[in-house]
Amino acid sequence: MIEASNLSVRLSGKQVLHGVNIEAAAGQLTAIVGPNGSGKTTSLKAIAGELSYEGTVSINGHDILTLKPWELALKRAVLPQSTVISFPFTVREIVRMGLSVGAKAGANETDRIAREALEAVDLSGFAGRFYQELSGGEQQRVQLARALCQIWEPVRHGEPAFLLLDEPVSSLDIRHQLTIMRLARVFCERGGGVIAIMHDLNLTAMFADRMIMMKSGRVRAAGRPNEVMTDAIMEAVFGCAMRVNATPAGSVPFVLPHTALG
Amino acid sequence: MPHSEMAAGDGRARSFAARLRSEWHMGDRSRLAQLLILMLVALAAAMFAASIMTGAADASLGNVLRWLFGVEGAEQALSARDRIIILDIRLPRAVMGLLVGASLAVSGAIMQGLFRNPLADPALVGVSSGASLGAVLMIVLGSSVFGPVFAVFGFYALPVAAFLGGLFTTLLLYRIATHTGQTSVATMLLAGIALSALANAVTGVLIFIADDKQLRDLTFWGLGSLAGANWTKILSAGPIILTSLAVVPFLARGLNALTLGEAAAFHMGVPVQRLKNIAIVSVAASTGAAVAVSGGIGFVGIVVPHVLRLIIGPDHRYLLPASALLGGTLLIFADMIARTIVPPAELPIGIITAFVGAPFFLWILLRGRSHLGL
Repeated sequence: MIEASNLSVRLSGKQVLHGVNIEAAAGQLTAIVGPNGSGKTTSLKAIAGELSYEGTVSINGHDILTLKPWELALKRAVLPQSTVISFPFTVREIVRMGLSVGAKAGANETDRIAREALEAVDLSGFAGRFYQELSGGEQQRVQLARALCQIWEPVRHGEPAFLLLDEPVSSLDIRHQLTIMRLARVFCERGGGVIAIMHDLNLTAMFADRMIMMKSGRVRAAGRPNEVMTDAIMEAVFGCAMRVNATPAGSVPFVLPHTALG
Repeated sequence: MPHSEMAAGDGRARSFAARLRSEWHMGDRSRLAQLLILMLVALAAAMFAASIMTGAADASLGNVLRWLFGVEGAEQALSARDRIIILDIRLPRAVMGLLVGASLAVSGAIMQGLFRNPLADPALVGVSSGASLGAVLMIVLGSSVFGPVFAVFGFYALPVAAFLGGLFTTLLLYRIATHTGQTSVATMLLAGIALSALANAVTGVLIFIADDKQLRDLTFWGLGSLAGANWTKILSAGPIILTSLAVVPFLARGLNALTLGEAAAFHMGVPVQRLKNIAIVSVAASTGAAVAVSGGIGFVGIVVPHVLRLIIGPDHRYLLPASALLGGTLLIFADMIARTIVPPAELPIGIITAFVGAPFFLWILLRGRSHLGL
């Protein structure tokens, strides 16, 4: 369980988070959505422990400020929006960096984990490529494989681990968007937890257990996707009138931008 | 790797090469790096021996080794004069070349890792300028204002002053660039340029007021040279350099993670601020010590890590020890050229490294412009 309560963050004098509360349970995919500049990434950075904040963030009951960097690294892994590197590392070398933290496994074991992580993000055969020569979407998947290696066991010594993903599918094609969202779901089913910042509302509704809608540094709504994605909330948060629909088979809501034209 | 090729590789050497190639294609360069480090150890030893044997006095390897290891009968083979030349001139020179070269190359590699920029170098962030200023202060004002200092420190005054100059610049730089516990790389680079200019300006003033003899000392020292190598200098700079080199293995993984950015390194469990503190102090100490005993020797810190990255990749676990070995070897080699190319005179070694290093560096830039991301 990750609990962030009453988070406030100032960035260069401007308050960007105003008392935000975010909870993410193990076994659940929690999505944070909201317009640009609503404080999604800042919230995630505070939860990751890389920003100074007011309020408290705890992971499995431990205040993150009391944990050493390597202890924190065994409880959560982070996928940033994009990562530019200036040295010619190969994909294999990058992915294995994730393994150097926790896993004290043997050489065969680390080889297997690194290989399976690349398979999981549909990049088998890319191990020998240079990271800098890959496309943006491929680089993002390499970083995800690296983060996966870091917390390869979703539950370690009875404690769930968490994946913090900042727009994990924003630069991916539709097939790989589904691959990555399914991967996140599987991680949850195996007992881990996921917090993902998302822009694609329909993909979020398909895969998320909980949806947190932010606007102007505050949480405006939180709950199951079909509770949060209503016409009224959508208009209040995104500032444009749209019609939310649902798939015929079930209660998965979706919204088409076309409905905003009317 | 095609199967037929694996089967055809009957010789062990051939199958080893095939394995290296296959691992390279899988993105695994660790065995290649280990092999290269072994080769560099051999190369450094060979260059060290060659350096001791090269020069006007005749001293074959067999005679030198027999004498060094105290084999009987070797006394006659080497004249007393040759023994003095070897023990008090060539040996300290080779040892100092090894130490200074290793220090310059490793400092360069650490700075580049720290700044995530293949062009970073202690010279770039003003550490070398600060160290030079310390040394020039001693050369020019040592007989007047700093007379008492010389009286206390004697031969150590120059290295200590350069070391303090380097450390002072680094700490000042650090104070400027560090804000609420975070070191900004951009601020540090820009502040480094400013501090460098300031130190050079003060150095300029000192050169202006220097007398003729001091000017000559300054010129030779500034161009860099191992000519003044002796055991006293090695005893003063050696421990500092060796201590800084000793912390290097503990920095490697952190510097690898830092390649992905400071936030990502922290996410991966690296105590980023502590890593930066250790790296900065180690670079300042080792650069200061190297500058003090050998003056400004350029390009080793940029060219050596660059060349190695092209071969074994940027993994600091291998890059740092390989840089130390290749840096030391190159400097001994450059020194051999410096003292044999215009006999009986000697060229400052900085001229050699610049003549070889600068065009080589340009060649690397042009060749790798696209995929080095410069």
